[in-house]
Amino acid sequence: METPVNHNQLTLEQRAVLLVDSVRDYAIFFVSPQGRIESWNAGARMLKGYTAAEIVGEPVSRFYTAEDREAGLPERLLRIAAEQGRVETEGWRVRRDGSRFWADVVITALRDEKGDLQGFAKITRDRTDRKRLEEERVRRVQAEEALRLRDQFLSIASHELRTPLTALQLQLEDLRLRLAGADGKIQQRIGRALRSGERMAALIDALLDVARISTGRLTFTREPFDLGEAVGEVVERFSSAAANAGCELSLEIEPGIVGAWDRLRIEQVVVNLLSNAMKFGAGAPIRVALQRCGAGARLEVRDHGPGVPAEDLVRIFGRFERSTSERHHGGLGLGLYVTHEIVAGHGGTVEARNAPGGGALFIVQLPVEPVGADGGRKAG
Amino acid sequence: MGSRVLVAEDDAAIRDSLGEILEDAGDDAVGACNGRQALEILGAPGPRPALILLDMTMPVMDGAAFRTAQRATAGRAEIPVIVFSADRDLSRIFDALHVQGVFHKPLPLAELLATIARFCRAA
Repeated sequence: METPVNHNQLTLEQRAVLLVDSVRDYAIFFVSPQGRIESWNAGARMLKGYTAAEIVGEPVSRFYTAEDREAGLPERLLRIAAEQGRVETEGWRVRRDGSRFWADVVITALRDEKGDLQGFAKITRDRTDRKRLEEERVRRVQAEEALRLRDQFLSIASHELRTPLTALQLQLEDLRLRLAGADGKIQQRIGRALRSGERMAALIDALLDVARISTGRLTFTREPFDLGEAVGEVVERFSSAAANAGCELSLEIEPGIVGAWDRLRIEQVVVNLLSNAMKFGAGAPIRVALQRCGAGARLEVRDHGPGVPAEDLVRIFGRFERSTSERHHGGLGLGLYVTHEIVAGHGGTVEARNAPGGGALFIVQLPVEPVGADGGRKAG
Repeated sequence: MGSRVLVAEDDAAIRDSLGEILEDAGDDAVGACNGRQALEILGAPGPRPALILLDMTMPVMDGAAFRTAQRATAGRAEIPVIVFSADRDLSRIFDALHVQGVFHKPLPLAELLATIARFCRAA
Protein backbone atom coordinates (compact mmCIF):
# COMPACT_ATOMS: atom_id res chain seq x y z
CA MET A 1 0.00 0.00 0.00
CA GLU A 2 1.32 3.41 -0.85
CA THR A 3 0.73 6.23 1.54
CA PRO A 4 0.34 9.73 0.22
CA VAL A 5 3.43 11.67 1.08
CA ASN A 6 3.48 15.21 2.24
CA HIS A 7 6.86 16.43 1.00
CA ASN A 8 6.89 19.39 3.23
CA GLN A 9 7.04 17.19 6.32
CA LEU A 10 10.02 15.13 5.04
CA THR A 11 13.71 16.00 5.22
CA LEU A 12 15.67 16.06 1.98
CA GLU A 13 17.40 12.84 3.07
CA GLN A 14 14.10 11.06 3.66
CA ARG A 15 12.89 12.20 0.30
CA ALA A 16 16.03 10.86 -1.38
CA VAL A 17 15.55 7.47 0.29
CA LEU A 18 11.93 7.34 -0.87
CA LEU A 19 12.94 8.26 -4.40
CA VAL A 20 15.58 5.54 -4.62
CA ASP A 21 13.29 2.96 -3.03
CA SER A 22 10.48 3.59 -5.47
CA VAL A 23 12.53 3.64 -8.69
CA ARG A 24 11.58 0.52 -10.63
CA ASP A 25 13.55 0.73 -13.89
CA TYR A 26 16.95 0.87 -12.23
CA ALA A 27 18.51 -1.35 -9.58
CA ILE A 28 20.05 1.16 -7.15
CA PHE A 29 21.92 -0.04 -4.09
CA PHE A 30 24.87 0.66 -1.86
CA VAL A 31 27.91 -1.57 -1.60
CA SER A 32 30.39 -1.54 1.31
CA PRO A 33 34.09 -0.83 0.67
CA GLN A 34 34.56 -4.62 1.06
CA GLY A 35 32.05 -5.31 -1.71
CA ARG A 36 29.00 -6.37 0.33
CA ILE A 37 25.49 -5.23 -0.49
CA GLU A 38 24.13 -2.72 2.05
CA SER A 39 20.76 -1.63 0.60
CA TRP A 40 18.17 -2.76 -1.95
CA ASN A 41 15.45 -0.92 -3.89
CA ALA A 42 12.30 -1.92 -5.80
CA GLY A 43 14.14 -1.84 -9.12
CA ALA A 44 16.87 -4.14 -7.80
CA ARG A 45 14.23 -6.60 -6.57
CA MET A 46 12.47 -6.59 -9.95
CA LEU A 47 15.62 -6.81 -11.99
CA LYS A 48 17.60 -9.37 -10.03
CA GLY A 49 14.81 -11.29 -8.29
CA TYR A 50 16.16 -11.15 -4.72
CA THR A 51 14.33 -9.61 -1.75
CA ALA A 52 16.28 -7.26 0.50
CA ALA A 53 16.29 -9.91 3.26
CA GLU A 54 17.94 -12.43 0.93
CA ILE A 55 20.67 -10.26 -0.49
CA VAL A 56 21.71 -7.51 1.94
CA GLY A 57 25.07 -8.52 3.42
CA GLU A 58 25.95 -10.80 0.49
CA PRO A 59 28.97 -10.08 -1.76
CA VAL A 60 28.24 -8.13 -4.92
CA SER A 61 29.94 -10.93 -6.90
CA ARG A 62 26.67 -12.91 -6.56
CA PHE A 63 25.35 -11.05 -9.64
CA TYR A 64 28.27 -11.96 -11.85
CA THR A 65 28.69 -14.99 -14.09
CA ALA A 66 31.03 -17.74 -12.96
CA GLU A 67 33.57 -16.78 -15.65
CA ASP A 68 33.56 -13.14 -14.60
CA ARG A 69 33.95 -14.12 -10.92
CA GLU A 70 36.90 -16.34 -11.78
CA ALA A 71 38.45 -13.53 -13.78
CA GLY A 72 38.11 -11.24 -10.75
CA LEU A 73 35.83 -8.78 -12.53
CA PRO A 74 33.69 -7.78 -9.47
CA GLU A 75 36.75 -6.76 -7.45
CA ARG A 76 38.42 -5.11 -10.45
CA LEU A 77 35.40 -2.89 -11.17
CA LEU A 78 35.20 -1.75 -7.53
CA ARG A 79 38.95 -1.03 -7.55
CA ILE A 80 38.66 1.06 -10.72
CA ALA A 81 35.68 2.95 -9.24
CA ALA A 82 37.68 3.58 -6.06
CA GLU A 83 40.69 4.82 -8.05
CA GLN A 84 38.90 6.86 -10.69
CA GLY A 85 35.74 7.91 -8.84
CA ARG A 86 33.40 5.93 -11.07
CA VAL A 87 33.25 3.19 -13.66
CA GLU A 88 30.74 2.44 -16.39
CA THR A 89 30.47 -0.99 -17.94
CA GLU A 90 28.16 -3.39 -19.75
CA GLY A 91 28.02 -7.15 -19.46
CA TRP A 92 26.04 -10.26 -18.69
CA ARG A 93 24.79 -10.53 -15.09
CA VAL A 94 22.86 -13.33 -13.37
CA ARG A 95 19.42 -13.16 -11.73
CA ARG A 96 18.33 -15.12 -8.68
CA ASP A 97 16.76 -17.81 -10.91
CA GLY A 98 20.03 -18.22 -12.84
CA SER A 99 18.83 -16.43 -16.00
CA ARG A 100 21.11 -13.83 -17.53
CA PHE A 101 20.47 -10.26 -18.52
CA TRP A 102 22.61 -7.66 -20.25
CA ALA A 103 23.41 -5.02 -17.65
CA ASP A 104 24.39 -1.41 -18.12
CA VAL A 105 26.22 -0.62 -14.87
CA VAL A 106 27.53 2.57 -13.24
CA ILE A 107 29.52 2.24 -10.02
CA THR A 108 30.33 5.47 -8.17
CA ALA A 109 32.75 5.62 -5.24
CA LEU A 110 31.34 7.40 -2.18
CA ARG A 111 33.86 9.32 -0.06
CA ASP A 112 33.44 11.44 3.08
CA GLU A 113 34.79 14.97 3.56
CA LYS A 114 38.22 13.58 4.48
CA GLY A 115 38.29 11.56 1.30
CA ASP A 116 37.99 8.17 2.98
CA LEU A 117 36.12 5.54 0.95
CA GLN A 118 32.71 4.89 2.48
CA GLY A 119 31.47 2.48 -0.13
CA PHE A 120 29.90 2.52 -3.60
CA ALA A 121 26.59 3.39 -5.19
CA LYS A 122 25.74 0.94 -7.91
CA ILE A 123 23.10 1.62 -10.59
CA THR A 124 22.20 -1.18 -12.96
CA ARG A 125 19.80 -1.15 -15.88
CA ASP A 126 18.52 -4.12 -17.91
CA ARG A 127 19.52 -3.55 -21.58
CA THR A 128 18.91 -7.13 -22.76
CA ASP A 129 16.49 -6.02 -25.50
CA ARG A 130 18.97 -3.53 -26.91
CA LYS A 131 21.76 -6.11 -26.72
CA ARG A 132 19.67 -8.67 -28.59
CA LEU A 133 18.84 -6.11 -31.30
CA GLU A 134 22.52 -5.25 -31.63
CA GLU A 135 23.50 -8.92 -31.82
CA GLU A 136 20.80 -9.45 -34.43
CA ARG A 137 22.11 -6.51 -36.44
CA VAL A 138 25.69 -7.83 -36.27
CA ARG A 139 24.53 -11.27 -37.36
CA ARG A 140 22.66 -9.73 -40.28
CA VAL A 141 25.67 -7.67 -41.37
CA GLN A 142 27.90 -10.76 -41.14
CA ALA A 143 25.41 -12.83 -43.13
CA GLU A 144 25.20 -10.15 -45.83
CA GLU A 145 28.98 -9.94 -46.00
CA ALA A 146 29.22 -13.72 -46.30
CA LEU A 147 26.68 -13.61 -49.15
CA ARG A 148 28.59 -10.85 -50.89
CA LEU A 149 31.87 -12.76 -50.61
CA ARG A 150 30.23 -15.91 -51.91
CA ASP A 151 28.78 -14.11 -54.93
CA GLN A 152 32.12 -12.48 -55.63
CA PHE A 153 33.73 -15.91 -55.41
CA LEU A 154 31.12 -17.41 -57.75
CA SER A 155 31.74 -14.67 -60.27
CA ILE A 156 35.53 -15.08 -60.22
CA ALA A 157 35.35 -18.88 -60.12
CA SER A 158 33.01 -19.12 -63.08
CA HIS A 159 35.24 -16.85 -65.19
CA GLU A 160 38.33 -18.82 -64.20
CA LEU A 161 36.67 -22.18 -64.88
CA ARG A 162 35.52 -21.09 -68.29
CA THR A 163 39.00 -20.25 -69.56
CA PRO A 164 40.58 -23.75 -69.50
CA LEU A 165 37.25 -25.17 -70.66
CA THR A 166 37.45 -22.96 -73.75
CA ALA A 167 40.91 -24.31 -74.59
CA LEU A 168 39.72 -27.89 -74.01
CA GLN A 169 36.67 -27.41 -76.24
CA LEU A 170 38.81 -25.87 -78.98
CA GLN A 171 41.14 -28.87 -79.00
CA LEU A 172 38.26 -31.34 -79.00
CA GLU A 173 36.39 -29.53 -81.76
CA ASP A 174 39.58 -29.41 -83.82
CA LEU A 175 40.01 -33.17 -83.32
CA ARG A 176 36.43 -33.78 -84.38
CA LEU A 177 36.83 -31.73 -87.55
CA ARG A 178 40.09 -33.48 -88.46
CA LEU A 179 38.72 -36.93 -87.73
CA ALA A 180 35.52 -36.32 -89.67
CA GLY A 181 36.38 -39.29 -91.87
CA ALA A 182 37.59 -41.55 -89.05
CA ASP A 183 35.74 -44.55 -87.70
CA GLY A 184 32.43 -44.07 -85.93
CA LYS A 185 33.67 -45.08 -82.49
CA ILE A 186 36.24 -42.31 -82.30
CA GLN A 187 33.68 -39.81 -83.57
CA GLN A 188 31.29 -41.00 -80.88
CA ARG A 189 33.86 -40.62 -78.13
CA ILE A 190 34.86 -37.13 -79.17
CA GLY A 191 31.18 -36.24 -79.35
CA ARG A 192 30.70 -37.52 -75.82
CA ALA A 193 33.68 -35.54 -74.53
CA LEU A 194 32.34 -32.41 -76.25
CA ARG A 195 28.90 -32.87 -74.72
CA SER A 196 30.46 -33.21 -71.27
CA GLY A 197 32.28 -29.96 -71.92
CA GLU A 198 29.02 -28.33 -72.98
CA ARG A 199 27.34 -29.51 -69.79
CA MET A 200 30.17 -28.07 -67.75
CA ALA A 201 29.87 -24.79 -69.64
CA ALA A 202 26.13 -24.71 -68.87
CA LEU A 203 26.78 -25.31 -65.16
CA ILE A 204 29.37 -22.52 -65.12
CA ASP A 205 26.88 -20.23 -66.87
CA ALA A 206 24.31 -21.01 -64.19
CA LEU A 207 26.80 -20.15 -61.42
CA LEU A 208 27.63 -16.90 -63.16
CA ASP A 209 23.92 -16.11 -63.51
CA VAL A 210 23.39 -16.63 -59.79
CA ALA A 211 26.23 -14.25 -59.03
CA ARG A 212 24.73 -11.73 -61.48
CA ILE A 213 21.25 -12.04 -60.00
CA SER A 214 22.35 -11.49 -56.43
CA THR A 215 24.51 -8.50 -57.30
CA GLY A 216 21.72 -7.04 -59.45
CA ARG A 217 23.72 -7.39 -62.66
CA LEU A 218 21.24 -9.63 -64.48
CA THR A 219 19.95 -7.26 -67.14
CA PHE A 220 17.64 -7.83 -70.05
CA THR A 221 18.06 -6.65 -73.63
CA ARG A 222 14.59 -6.59 -75.08
CA GLU A 223 14.01 -6.95 -78.79
CA PRO A 224 10.81 -7.83 -80.61
CA PHE A 225 10.42 -11.45 -81.70
CA ASP A 226 7.84 -14.16 -82.22
CA LEU A 227 7.64 -16.15 -78.99
CA GLY A 228 6.27 -19.26 -80.67
CA GLU A 229 9.20 -19.34 -83.11
CA ALA A 230 11.71 -19.07 -80.27
CA VAL A 231 10.01 -21.83 -78.24
CA GLY A 232 9.81 -24.00 -81.36
CA GLU A 233 13.54 -23.54 -82.05
CA VAL A 234 14.50 -24.62 -78.54
CA VAL A 235 12.22 -27.67 -78.73
CA GLU A 236 13.81 -28.50 -82.08
CA ARG A 237 17.30 -28.28 -80.53
CA PHE A 238 16.17 -30.74 -77.86
CA SER A 239 14.78 -33.31 -80.28
CA SER A 240 17.78 -35.68 -80.26
CA ALA A 241 18.36 -35.32 -76.50
CA ALA A 242 14.66 -36.05 -75.94
CA ALA A 243 14.84 -39.10 -78.16
CA ASN A 244 17.84 -40.32 -76.15
CA ALA A 245 15.89 -39.81 -72.91
CA GLY A 246 12.95 -41.74 -74.37
CA CYS A 247 10.70 -38.67 -74.24
CA GLU A 248 8.27 -38.00 -77.01
CA LEU A 249 8.13 -34.20 -77.39
CA SER A 250 4.85 -32.67 -78.46
CA LEU A 251 4.44 -29.01 -79.27
CA GLU A 252 1.31 -26.88 -79.48
CA ILE A 253 1.94 -23.28 -80.38
CA GLU A 254 -0.47 -20.45 -80.99
CA PRO A 255 1.24 -18.46 -83.76
CA GLY A 256 1.77 -14.72 -83.90
CA ILE A 257 2.52 -13.91 -80.25
CA VAL A 258 5.01 -11.12 -80.85
CA GLY A 259 6.43 -8.94 -78.12
CA ALA A 260 9.66 -7.46 -76.76
CA TRP A 261 11.61 -9.76 -74.45
CA ASP A 262 15.24 -10.76 -74.00
CA ARG A 263 15.35 -13.56 -76.53
CA LEU A 264 18.40 -15.41 -75.16
CA ARG A 265 17.01 -15.32 -71.65
CA ILE A 266 13.53 -16.48 -72.69
CA GLU A 267 15.15 -19.32 -74.62
CA GLN A 268 17.06 -20.14 -71.45
CA VAL A 269 13.74 -20.43 -69.58
CA VAL A 270 12.49 -22.96 -72.14
CA VAL A 271 15.82 -24.83 -72.02
CA ASN A 272 15.71 -25.02 -68.22
CA LEU A 273 12.11 -26.22 -68.09
CA LEU A 274 12.71 -28.81 -70.83
CA SER A 275 15.94 -30.07 -69.20
CA ASN A 276 14.06 -30.36 -65.95
CA ALA A 277 11.19 -32.25 -67.58
CA MET A 278 13.62 -34.66 -69.28
CA LYS A 279 15.54 -35.21 -66.06
CA PHE A 280 12.47 -36.18 -64.04
CA GLY A 281 10.17 -37.49 -66.72
CA ALA A 282 12.61 -39.67 -68.68
CA GLY A 283 10.91 -42.36 -70.70
CA ALA A 284 7.55 -40.57 -70.87
CA PRO A 285 6.03 -37.91 -73.15
CA ILE A 286 6.61 -34.18 -72.59
CA ARG A 287 4.15 -31.59 -73.83
CA VAL A 288 5.07 -27.98 -74.53
CA ALA A 289 2.22 -25.55 -75.16
CA LEU A 290 2.14 -21.82 -75.82
CA GLN A 291 -1.01 -19.75 -76.06
CA ARG A 292 -2.35 -16.27 -75.50
CA CYS A 293 -3.78 -15.74 -72.07
CA GLY A 294 -5.54 -12.42 -71.56
CA ALA A 295 -3.04 -9.68 -72.41
CA GLY A 296 -0.11 -12.06 -71.93
CA ALA A 297 1.33 -15.37 -73.05
CA ARG A 298 1.16 -18.66 -71.20
CA LEU A 299 3.80 -21.33 -71.65
CA GLU A 300 3.24 -24.80 -70.22
CA VAL A 301 5.76 -27.62 -69.92
CA ARG A 302 4.24 -30.83 -68.66
CA ASP A 303 6.08 -34.07 -67.96
CA HIS A 304 4.91 -37.49 -66.76
CA GLY A 305 7.54 -37.92 -64.06
CA PRO A 306 6.91 -38.38 -60.34
CA GLY A 307 5.66 -34.79 -59.91
CA VAL A 308 6.76 -32.38 -57.17
CA PRO A 309 5.98 -33.02 -53.47
CA ALA A 310 3.35 -30.50 -52.36
CA GLU A 311 5.68 -28.93 -49.77
CA ASP A 312 8.30 -28.22 -52.48
CA LEU A 313 6.09 -26.56 -55.10
CA VAL A 314 7.21 -23.06 -54.12
CA ARG A 315 10.58 -23.87 -52.57
CA ILE A 316 12.08 -25.33 -55.78
CA PHE A 317 12.31 -21.82 -57.26
CA GLY A 318 14.65 -20.73 -54.45
CA ARG A 319 18.39 -20.49 -54.78
CA PHE A 320 20.28 -23.81 -54.39
CA GLU A 321 16.94 -25.46 -53.54
CA ARG A 322 15.87 -28.81 -54.82
CA SER A 323 12.87 -30.94 -54.22
CA THR A 324 13.45 -33.54 -51.50
CA SER A 325 12.79 -36.28 -54.02
CA GLU A 326 15.43 -34.72 -56.24
CA ARG A 327 18.60 -35.36 -54.23
CA HIS A 328 19.66 -38.39 -56.23
CA HIS A 329 19.28 -36.50 -59.51
CA GLY A 330 22.30 -34.28 -58.92
CA GLY A 331 22.72 -30.82 -60.39
CA LEU A 332 23.26 -27.57 -58.58
CA GLY A 333 19.60 -26.75 -58.13
CA LEU A 334 20.04 -23.46 -59.98
CA GLY A 335 17.98 -23.93 -63.14
CA LEU A 336 14.57 -23.16 -61.66
CA TYR A 337 15.94 -20.30 -59.58
CA VAL A 338 17.45 -18.67 -62.68
CA THR A 339 14.20 -19.39 -64.55
CA HIS A 340 12.20 -17.67 -61.82
CA GLU A 341 14.50 -14.63 -61.85
CA ILE A 342 14.36 -14.28 -65.65
CA VAL A 343 10.57 -14.55 -65.73
CA ALA A 344 10.16 -12.16 -62.79
CA GLY A 345 12.58 -9.74 -64.50
CA HIS A 346 10.17 -9.68 -67.44
CA GLY A 347 7.25 -8.95 -65.13
CA GLY A 348 5.91 -12.50 -65.36
CA THR A 349 5.31 -15.44 -63.04
CA VAL A 350 6.32 -19.09 -63.01
CA GLU A 351 4.67 -21.79 -60.94
CA ALA A 352 4.84 -25.52 -60.52
CA ARG A 353 1.79 -27.75 -60.15
CA ASN A 354 1.11 -31.43 -60.07
CA ALA A 355 -0.88 -32.25 -63.16
CA PRO A 356 -4.05 -34.28 -62.81
CA GLY A 357 -3.10 -37.77 -63.91
CA GLY A 358 0.49 -37.44 -62.68
CA GLY A 359 3.62 -35.53 -63.65
CA ALA A 360 4.72 -31.97 -63.08
CA LEU A 361 3.24 -28.98 -64.88
CA PHE A 362 5.27 -25.76 -65.05
CA ILE A 363 3.37 -22.66 -66.09
CA VAL A 364 5.08 -19.44 -67.19
CA GLN A 365 2.93 -16.34 -67.63
CA LEU A 366 4.64 -13.52 -69.51
CA PRO A 367 3.27 -10.08 -70.21
CA VAL A 368 3.35 -9.28 -73.93
CA GLU A 369 5.03 -5.92 -74.37
CA PRO A 370 3.39 -4.16 -77.31
CA VAL A 371 5.72 -3.68 -80.25
CA GLY A 372 5.65 -0.29 -81.97
CA ALA A 373 5.12 0.23 -85.70
CA ASP A 374 8.88 0.72 -86.17
CA GLY A 375 9.40 -2.79 -84.83
CA GLY A 376 10.97 -1.45 -81.68
CA ARG A 377 9.63 -1.53 -78.18
CA LYS A 378 6.96 1.03 -77.48
CA ALA A 379 8.03 3.61 -74.95
CA GLY A 380 6.33 3.66 -71.56
CA MET B 1 48.47 -18.84 -99.58
CA GLY B 2 47.31 -18.17 -95.97
CA SER B 3 46.78 -14.87 -94.27
CA ARG B 4 48.24 -13.42 -91.12
CA VAL B 5 45.84 -13.49 -88.13
CA LEU B 6 46.52 -11.63 -84.89
CA VAL B 7 45.25 -13.52 -81.81
CA ALA B 8 44.95 -11.22 -78.76
CA GLU B 9 44.12 -13.48 -75.81
CA ASP B 10 45.67 -13.55 -72.32
CA ASP B 11 45.16 -17.26 -71.68
CA ALA B 12 48.11 -19.15 -73.18
CA ALA B 13 46.17 -22.40 -73.63
CA ILE B 14 43.46 -20.70 -75.70
CA ARG B 15 45.97 -18.54 -77.60
CA ASP B 16 48.18 -21.53 -78.47
CA SER B 17 45.20 -23.71 -79.39
CA LEU B 18 43.88 -21.06 -81.76
CA GLY B 19 47.40 -20.52 -83.14
CA GLU B 20 47.83 -24.22 -83.90
CA ILE B 21 44.42 -24.52 -85.46
CA LEU B 22 45.04 -21.45 -87.66
CA GLU B 23 48.49 -22.68 -88.72
CA ASP B 24 47.04 -26.08 -89.56
CA ALA B 25 44.50 -24.28 -91.73
CA GLY B 26 47.44 -22.69 -93.53
CA ASP B 27 47.23 -19.26 -91.91
CA ASP B 28 50.02 -17.41 -90.12
CA ALA B 29 49.02 -16.80 -86.49
CA VAL B 30 50.64 -14.11 -84.31
CA GLY B 31 49.85 -14.10 -80.59
CA ALA B 32 49.53 -11.19 -78.15
CA CYS B 33 48.80 -11.53 -74.39
CA ASN B 34 47.08 -8.17 -74.06
CA GLY B 35 45.82 -5.18 -76.01
CA ARG B 36 49.07 -3.23 -75.68
CA GLN B 37 51.12 -6.07 -77.19
CA ALA B 38 48.56 -6.42 -79.96
CA LEU B 39 48.91 -2.69 -80.76
CA GLU B 40 52.72 -3.07 -80.86
CA ILE B 41 52.42 -5.95 -83.30
CA LEU B 42 50.09 -3.86 -85.47
CA GLY B 43 52.63 -1.01 -85.45
CA ALA B 44 55.66 -3.19 -86.26
CA PRO B 45 56.90 -3.53 -89.84
CA GLY B 46 55.93 -6.68 -91.70
CA PRO B 47 52.78 -8.01 -93.28
CA ARG B 48 49.56 -6.47 -92.01
CA PRO B 49 47.18 -8.98 -90.35
CA ALA B 50 44.07 -9.73 -92.37
CA LEU B 51 42.02 -10.34 -89.22
CA ILE B 52 42.20 -9.81 -85.47
CA LEU B 53 40.74 -12.32 -82.99
CA LEU B 54 40.20 -10.35 -79.79
CA ASP B 55 39.49 -11.50 -76.25
CA MET B 56 37.52 -8.95 -74.20
CA THR B 57 38.98 -9.61 -70.74
CA MET B 58 42.75 -9.10 -70.72
CA PRO B 59 45.20 -7.48 -68.31
CA VAL B 60 47.13 -4.26 -69.11
CA MET B 61 44.80 -3.28 -71.96
CA ASP B 62 41.48 -5.02 -72.46
CA GLY B 63 39.66 -5.78 -75.69
CA ALA B 64 37.48 -2.67 -75.65
CA ALA B 65 40.46 -0.31 -75.10
CA PHE B 66 42.42 -2.08 -77.83
CA ARG B 67 39.55 -1.75 -80.30
CA THR B 68 39.19 1.97 -79.57
CA ALA B 69 42.94 2.52 -80.08
CA GLN B 70 43.02 0.37 -83.21
CA ARG B 71 40.15 2.29 -84.81
CA ALA B 72 42.13 5.51 -84.24
CA THR B 73 45.30 4.12 -85.88
CA ALA B 74 45.74 5.10 -89.52
CA GLY B 75 46.26 2.14 -91.81
CA ARG B 76 45.15 -0.30 -89.12
CA ALA B 77 41.59 0.86 -88.47
CA GLU B 78 40.05 -1.20 -91.27
CA ILE B 79 41.39 -4.58 -90.13
CA PRO B 80 38.30 -6.62 -89.26
CA VAL B 81 37.94 -7.78 -85.65
CA ILE B 82 36.17 -10.81 -84.22
CA VAL B 83 35.60 -10.71 -80.48
CA PHE B 84 35.33 -13.56 -77.95
CA SER B 85 33.53 -12.98 -74.74
CA ALA B 86 32.29 -14.90 -71.75
CA ASP B 87 29.51 -12.31 -71.64
CA ARG B 88 26.17 -13.66 -72.71
CA ASP B 89 24.94 -10.37 -74.01
CA LEU B 90 26.92 -10.32 -77.22
CA SER B 91 24.79 -7.88 -79.16
CA ARG B 92 25.80 -5.10 -76.77
CA ILE B 93 29.50 -5.75 -77.46
CA PHE B 94 28.81 -5.97 -81.17
CA ASP B 95 27.13 -2.56 -81.21
CA ALA B 96 29.51 -0.85 -78.81
CA LEU B 97 32.77 -1.89 -80.51
CA HIS B 98 31.68 -1.93 -84.17
CA VAL B 99 33.30 -5.33 -84.66
CA GLN B 100 32.68 -7.78 -87.49
CA GLY B 101 31.73 -10.78 -85.35
CA VAL B 102 31.24 -11.88 -81.75
CA PHE B 103 31.60 -15.39 -80.31
CA HIS B 104 30.57 -16.61 -76.91
CA LYS B 105 33.08 -18.72 -74.97
CA PRO B 106 33.44 -21.71 -75.19
CA LEU B 107 34.01 -21.11 -78.88
CA PRO B 108 32.11 -23.02 -81.57
CA LEU B 109 35.12 -23.90 -83.70
CA ALA B 110 33.42 -24.79 -86.96
CA GLU B 111 31.56 -21.47 -87.05
CA LEU B 112 34.67 -19.59 -85.96
CA LEU B 113 36.76 -21.20 -88.71
CA ALA B 114 34.10 -20.40 -91.29
CA THR B 115 34.08 -16.77 -90.18
CA ILE B 116 37.88 -16.57 -90.20
CA ALA B 117 37.96 -18.09 -93.69
CA ARG B 118 35.41 -15.56 -94.91
CA PHE B 119 37.53 -12.60 -93.77
CA CYS B 120 40.95 -14.04 -94.63
CA ARG B 121 40.05 -15.19 -98.12
CA ALA B 122 38.33 -11.89 -98.86
CA ALA B 123 41.46 -10.01 -97.78
